[in-house]
Amino acid sequence: MKRFIMAIVLVCFMALPASVCFAVNQQNTGCGLGTIIMKGNDGLIFQVLAVTTNGTCGNQTFGITSGTLDCDKPAKLASRERINTYVAENMDNLASDIAKGQGEYLNTLAVLMEVPEGTRSDFYSRLQNNFSNIYTNNDVTSIDVVNNIEALL
Amino acid sequence: MRRCGGHICRISFFFVSILSCVIQGPDVFAMERGYLDQVLESAVRQRLYEDRYWYVLLHYKEGFLGTESVIDDPAFFLAPDGKTNPVSEMEATIRAFFDPAGDEVCRFVARFEWLKERLRLDTDRLPVSGCASLEAFINRNSPVSVTLVFPMSHLNSPASMFGHTLITIETAQKTKLLAYSVSYSAVSRETFGPLFAVKGIFGFYPGYYAVLPYYAKLQQYSDVDHRDIWEYSLNLTIPEIRRMLLHIREMEAIYSDYYFFGENCSYMLFFLLEAARPTLQLSDKPHTWVIPLDSIRMVKEQGMITGASYRPSRTTKIKSLASQTPMPGKEIALGLARGEYKDQGPFLDTGLSKQEKMKTCELAGEYLQYLYTKDKVTEKTYQGRFLKILKMRSSLGISGGESLYSISEPVRPEKGHLSNRFALGCGVNNDDVFADFRLRPSYHDLTDNNDGYIEGAQLIFGATKLRYYDKTGSLRLESFDIVDIFSLSPADMFFHPVSWKIKTGLTRVADKDNDERLVYELNPGGGLSFKGDTLGLVYMMLETDVLIGSALEHDNAAGMGGSAGLIKTIDRSLKVHFGIKDIYYGLGDTFNSFEAFANANITIDPNKAMMLNASRNRTRDIYSTEVSVLWNIFF
Repeated sequence: MKRFIMAIVLVCFMALPASVCFAVNQQNTGCGLGTIIMKGNDGLIFQVLAVTTNGTCGNQTFGITSGTLDCDKPAKLASRERINTYVAENMDNLASDIAKGQGEYLNTLAVLMEVPEGTRSDFYSRLQNNFSNIYTNNDVTSIDVVNNIEALL
Repeated sequence: MRRCGGHICRISFFFVSILSCVIQGPDVFAMERGYLDQVLESAVRQRLYEDRYWYVLLHYKEGFLGTESVIDDPAFFLAPDGKTNPVSEMEATIRAFFDPAGDEVCRFVARFEWLKERLRLDTDRLPVSGCASLEAFINRNSPVSVTLVFPMSHLNSPASMFGHTLITIETAQKTKLLAYSVSYSAVSRETFGPLFAVKGIFGFYPGYYAVLPYYAKLQQYSDVDHRDIWEYSLNLTIPEIRRMLLHIREMEAIYSDYYFFGENCSYMLFFLLEAARPTLQLSDKPHTWVIPLDSIRMVKEQGMITGASYRPSRTTKIKSLASQTPMPGKEIALGLARGEYKDQGPFLDTGLSKQEKMKTCELAGEYLQYLYTKDKVTEKTYQGRFLKILKMRSSLGISGGESLYSISEPVRPEKGHLSNRFALGCGVNNDDVFADFRLRPSYHDLTDNNDGYIEGAQLIFGATKLRYYDKTGSLRLESFDIVDIFSLSPADMFFHPVSWKIKTGLTRVADKDNDERLVYELNPGGGLSFKGDTLGLVYMMLETDVLIGSALEHDNAAGMGGSAGLIKTIDRSLKVHFGIKDIYYGLGDTFNSFEAFANANITIDPNKAMMLNASRNRTRDIYSTEVSVLWNIFF
């Protein structure tokens, strides 16, 4: 009995956030909508115990000096890779912002693509008006999206 | 005296010079060895191994058994006894920097920079003068500010109220989403809850400082976990941020045993802040359990916080947006997310304004994303529906200067009541007068003031209630709650969470002779709750109750029943909770227990409140009435 109570005390003393796996982007093939969505541990036992990890599966994928986004490549190539990675890893929220013509994810894309601040509102309008030309079909990948956006500039 | 004459002298002088040059050769090496010795001597003279900064960088703590580093990974130490010996670790570190192979300068770049300054190292006389790759990184990225990020509780998970803390480092060129987030967490692939809990408490998992782009953490916390996030900007200067970055570089891929109570996410961040600003007093403050919210209070006390901004989760956004969208719009949003409106336009003949249509589309999109994270739609279906909704939204244009909808910012969490609560009061039960003492180490009660906490969530651990009865002159343990958790999450058009509760511990139950005696109780329940403007939060639950103790016939009783109640916040300082509970015990000892109660909580200031309680109870057909007044102090 005492041991049972102890077990309850111990297991209830947990309050870490949901277990997730951040999948590293496949930069060659790009990612579609909804592909990088992390699933949480949702079962009731996890809720009661609020048991979860704090989010990394294995080693970090993005170090300060060893990160994939800051490798020693020619600036233009590295910058293109950064854009591809960002779009791949934020497909859904970016699509949402482009549809609205504003938002934090869209703003970040403008910064990465080095769109001058003065022309940004035109940039946002143009993307919104051409939504169907960017997201051409349901299976559209992040590589397509980046290419389609660049074609509009 | 004959002069040393002629050729012989010159030749010998010449040979002596050559000879002395040859003998000087190894002394160049000896000179550098001499320099190393000089440096080591200087370190000893200045007693640098006792310096606070050395302790911060090595994560040393003073304990009963001497000095020990909190870090467990042997790769973090250059001396074999480095974990417990600051002196030998310093000597090994200095020697390593003189090693021609030169790997250690980058690996321990924060130590290098600090020692370089304190020992006034002449970098020309060292094999490696700095860490080129890190310098290149800093030049490319220009870190400018640091934020302490606090993801709070999520919907229907009261235990997550403890929250989490991480740090983000923003750079000049990039936006918030691209900031570098640094988070200390346990790494495990465990999916079995209780085992994970036990291992996490006793240090069986390695903890790592993981660096990820902030958008990755947001996807996890905001979009999937649905946690509201508070971002506290810190007043670290550029040189301080640089020192922190150097230390983060040292901690990459270094593990330490993760202890949920002690060396947890919040505590381990303290070392990073102290590496930036060694005058901070964070990691050496005595503590039993660093709750993330308390760690934010500690950082605030050190004068580091310059401001806070609120980032609502997806579910908070949906609820806000829904409350500002007219009903036809809400119904259309639901329909769009469910894939109705196959061909016809949903807005036909609705009379909705353009702004209202925009809100409807945005609500539909956010809600569909929510459904997807809950696995309510397949990926293929999601993609088609999502694009259709977004296309509809894109055809409506940009909403212009004013924001389409507003989200009210709740009270900042660190301004809410403190985690521990002590209560003192008195009351009368039938004609028995008593004094009441309560101690609750954490965390939040249904009747406590909600500022900084989520409504309808209760999280109690280890609550003790003692009473001194005047009639009998006895002090007794009235109850001890091991856990008492309530999660009242209101259901509405968009969300249908199950509200639930669980309580376990010791409580008093009347035995056959109407003597109230201690028994062990396990009381889970589940049901629904709703939120209304007039009634407040209303709940209904089905409950089971298991009692074990010699006070009961057959030493046990098991029963089922239900409860219902309402919790209403009348204004900022007054909150009431009315409820009834009825359980029929049919197994073991058989009897019925019914209770009706009313509680009122009057907030005096964030950490003081007064509670008025009244209840009427009927157990085994015997009635009792109780009224009490309590003074609550949070600390």
